[in-house]
Order: sequence, then structure tokens, then C-alpha cells
Amino acid sequence: MRYFEDIALETKRTIGDYTFTQAEMIHFAQEFDPQPFHIDPEAALASPFRGLVASGWHTVAIWMKLMVADRILAHSRGERAAFGPSPGFRDLKWLKPVHAGDTLTYSTMATQKTELKTRPHWGLIGSHNEAVNQNGEVAMSFLGQVLCMRRPAGTAP
Amino acid sequence: MRDSPPKYYWEDFEVGSVLRFGERLVTREEIVAFARDFDPQPMHLDEDAAKASLLGGLAASGWHVCAILMRMCWDAFMHETASLGAPGIEEMRWMRPVRPGHILSIERTVLDKRRDGSRPEMGLVKFRFDVMSQDGERLGRMENWYMVGVRDAGAAP
Repeated sequence: MRYFEDIALETKRTIGDYTFTQAEMIHFAQEFDPQPFHIDPEAALASPFRGLVASGWHTVAIWMKLMVADRILAHSRGERAAFGPSPGFRDLKWLKPVHAGDTLTYSTMATQKTELKTRPHWGLIGSHNEAVNQNGEVAMSFLGQVLCMRRPAGTAP
Repeated sequence: MRDSPPKYYWEDFEVGSVLRFGERLVTREEIVAFARDFDPQPMHLDEDAAKASLLGGLAASGWHVCAILMRMCWDAFMHETASLGAPGIEEMRWMRPVRPGHILSIERTVLDKRRDGSRPEMGLVKFRFDVMSQDGERLGRMENWYMVGVRDAGAAP
């Protein structure tokens, strides 16, 4: 088990690639974000994006999907980290439109560790997260936060 | 999608004004379905595992809450607004778990507005969204700038 104390700062880690398909983009947006440039290829051609683009909420939901997959992979290597819920995020930026066929490479980097007086068994990890497209441009970034269990007293690192 | 001219432009958002909208029932089925696709952590999938977690019972993924908020905004006012999207989200706080059976409503406060000197056809409006339960509990709070068309782009910014 990896605990709060074991999380290394300033080490950027790629968590996966994801290629967006038009069908998936439309499916997500029809449920949550039915702006014409997310659901209607013809209307999107006439929009400033000049083509269908993924909802920004879809782009960031894929970050979460890849994070969970990365944790499950770590678990299978015996490196399970004791993460809990997140209290929120800051500075989410949708910097470049994501078109059908674009492949984003997602990464995460812990940038801050905060001990919690109110929850002695947990610490808060701050992270910088981003998705870079196939042209090397940062398409999305945000500052995440997640609770992580403290190493129980008496256990060896 | 929008099939008539927009009703609301930048001029129509008054700083300090509050709009309340909803309601929207959150079901167990949709919480689990979203989590399977994007956030398959036990606290979002399985009642027993969720009870043992910090959340104390099955709760929606925070990203699902964001996506539901987006859809509620679309239904309440964005589909009738000269919407140009959002550049990002300044802050989202997931304050309390969103659970099956919650009936969400939103309180939207206009915090600030300004024109973009280089783009006379576009204005910016800063919103705060409070996500409320049927019991009047604040479950989440989001703040973000929103890009919206100006009705009278010829008027001085």
C-alpha cells in the first residue's frame, strides 16, 4: 500500500492516451451539453470551431477515467494507493478544441501535500493535470485535489 | 438544440441578480452508469463499499455533478442565450455527496461582467452556481466565466 507519505512531488506521470470519436462525443453531449457545436456536425462546421468539438466536461471526464484505470493497474502491481474523495478543483482551462479523431495524452503531477488537522488519518494532495493533443498543444489543464490516507503509525514505509 | 434566435445576450445579465432553477432528480441508475463510464471507484458504484468510504454511502462522481449542472444550465437559460461557451472553470467545490433521491436545484448569481476590448461582439459574464438539495443543503459551488454574444456590438465596451 502507498500512503500520503509515499506520494512523490513534482514527478509528472502519463496516465494514458485517448482518441475521441464523433459518436462518443455526440453521445456524451446529447445527455449533458447539447450545444449545437457538440452534437450537430453541420451546425459545428458553421461555428467558430469549424467542426464538431467535444464538450469540455467530456474531455475532463476522460482524465478521471484514465486516472482510475491507472490506479487499478498500480493495484495489480501491488502498489495500491489509499485515495479517498476529492473536495474539488481549481483553474480548469479548456485551451484548445478537441475534434473527432484527436488523441489526447493525459498526465498528472502531485504538486502539494497538506496535512489535515481535522482529519488526522488523511492528507490532501494537490496536483497539476493536463491533456496534450497530437500536435503537442495543451488542450486542457486543471489543479486537482484528492484525499489520501496517512501511513498508520507503526507500519514500515 | 437552438432553432430560434437567442433571447438573452450579454446585456441581459445583471451583476448581483439571482436566478433559481431546477428541479432535477438524481437516480441510482444514472450515478452508477456515469461512474462505470468515467469514474469506476467503489464509492460511486457499490452501496456497501460506499458505506465503508469517507462518503458514507453511494454518491455521484463529482464530474457527474458538473455534467448535470451543465445540462441544467442548458435547459434553464443557455439554450436561449447567445452562448459562446466557457474558457474554463475557476473553482468547483464538491461540498457534500450527491446521492440517489436528491432533487437538485441551482442558484445562479451573476458576480461580474465585462467586455473584451479586442472582440466587440463578445462579452464575459462571471457566474456562481450553488447546487442545492431539496432540504436546502448546499452540495456544491462552482464559479466560472462564460462567453456570450453582445446584442449591440456597436456600442462602446
